[in-house]
Amino acid sequence: MSRQNTRLDQKKVNTELLTLAYGSFVTQILHDQNLNIDEVNKNLERIGYNIGLRLIEDFLSRTAAPRCLEMRETADRIQQAFRIYLNIQPAITNWSSSSDEFSLIFENNPLIDFVELPPEFSNLRYSAIICGCIRGALEMVQQEVQCFLVQDQLKSDSCTEIRVKFIRRLEDAIPAGED
Amino acid sequence: MSEEILFDCLHSQIVNYCLNVNKTAPESFTSQTQPPEKEKDLSTLEYIGYTTGYRLIERLTREVPRFKDELETMKFVCTDFWTAIFKKQVDNLRTNHQGVYVLQDNAFRFLTRISPGTKQLEHAPKYVAFTCGLIRGSLANLGISSTVTAEVQSIPSCKFHVQVSRN
Amino acid sequence: MINNLYIFDKYGNLLYYDEWNRPKKGEIKQEEEQKLMYGMLISIKSFVNRLSPTDTREGFLYYKTNKYALHYLETPSGLKFVMNTDVAAMNVREFLQQLYGKVWVEYVVRDPLWEPGTEVTSSLFKSKLDDFVKQSPIFGIRNI
Repeated sequence: MSRQNTRLDQKKVNTELLTLAYGSFVTQILHDQNLNIDEVNKNLERIGYNIGLRLIEDFLSRTAAPRCLEMRETADRIQQAFRIYLNIQPAITNWSSSSDEFSLIFENNPLIDFVELPPEFSNLRYSAIICGCIRGALEMVQQEVQCFLVQDQLKSDSCTEIRVKFIRRLEDAIPAGED
Repeated sequence: MSEEILFDCLHSQIVNYCLNVNKTAPESFTSQTQPPEKEKDLSTLEYIGYTTGYRLIERLTREVPRFKDELETMKFVCTDFWTAIFKKQVDNLRTNHQGVYVLQDNAFRFLTRISPGTKQLEHAPKYVAFTCGLIRGSLANLGISSTVTAEVQSIPSCKFHVQVSRN
Repeated sequence: MINNLYIFDKYGNLLYYDEWNRPKKGEIKQEEEQKLMYGMLISIKSFVNRLSPTDTREGFLYYKTNKYALHYLETPSGLKFVMNTDVAAMNVREFLQQLYGKVWVEYVVRDPLWEPGTEVTSSLFKSKLDDFVKQSPIFGIRNI
């Protein structure tokens, strides 16, 4: 392939393009929603959800992974997905005693690389797109989860922490008249 | 490439968002004096591309020596920058040496998975507007003010026209 | 020899159907055939799992008659790829797994004009699928 014909570092360009385009997009949404932060958060989560619906198919075809039977497997797959798509490896910790809830801890979150939030945006969940993406992807494999930001580096927390909580397994659809 | 699909997904979400966000307004609100909805939506997309390109090129050209003239700047944007983002070289780059540059990509990244066809062709402007902005923004940061338009005659091929403003 | 291909989503909607080498057409309407096909798959799947001596993830893989074989690949997202071939065809599930990544994900999932859950009408997908099927060694093999 003749794709190397550039003086620029392609990996860096890719990451920064994603980060900066996302930043411009968030700014536009803030503007469109007249700074109604709750609406913006909802939008970001939904956008992530839509991405998750498609990304999961790429992940499944790429890894040929079977359906997960328990949350610990799911957690490993999510971690693997971050490696594949964002080249980062979040730590998996803080399991609940019933093993249906865990945290992903990010030391560095590439999405927020060039971002600083002004104080009036303190309720903005800038990384909500990641939560949405996890929720959408898992819904496609019949797992309903809640996914939310617990710690946020944009708000002077030392890391980004995303909590994933298993709600229920969705039933496979059966056509009417069959059992 | 794994990072590619992620950005492609984000790009189509940006497109969907920009084309749907204004649709919720009641029809009576769209007065005669406002530009047609579609154009407005495309200009939002273009603007997101512009701010992205403006900041991206800034970060990428820090280690690159300053360009000596317009042609050299254009060449950098249309070769190095283009190849890094779109994973292939442009197929043709022409100029009339009077500030018009035409950049042709026969398999443009955001069109390669869309079926060629007349119905699909109507959608093409949505998938090239961000990139028009991206080019305009990166040139603006390098000191060249321009207008960028795109022309899709048959998917997945696209021609970008860059008109440098000389004033 | 490849006869035909059905792709269903997890709700049983037929997203795509194509056939290559099917001299004897079904005696029922295509729509009816597709419904029966989906119903049969669900029944086989469920019964096969019930008979299994231990828990199984994959369950039903294929069945074979003296004239043809039906191969089944279900992704964890519930997409169902069903391909009928001659009885000599080998490694069809691997072939379907590749088809999933290289054709379905590439030209359907990544087509921004496709709405998830809707029938696939993309002529680009159709032609890429056709190429992919025809370049496969399975396509040419005939039962001797």
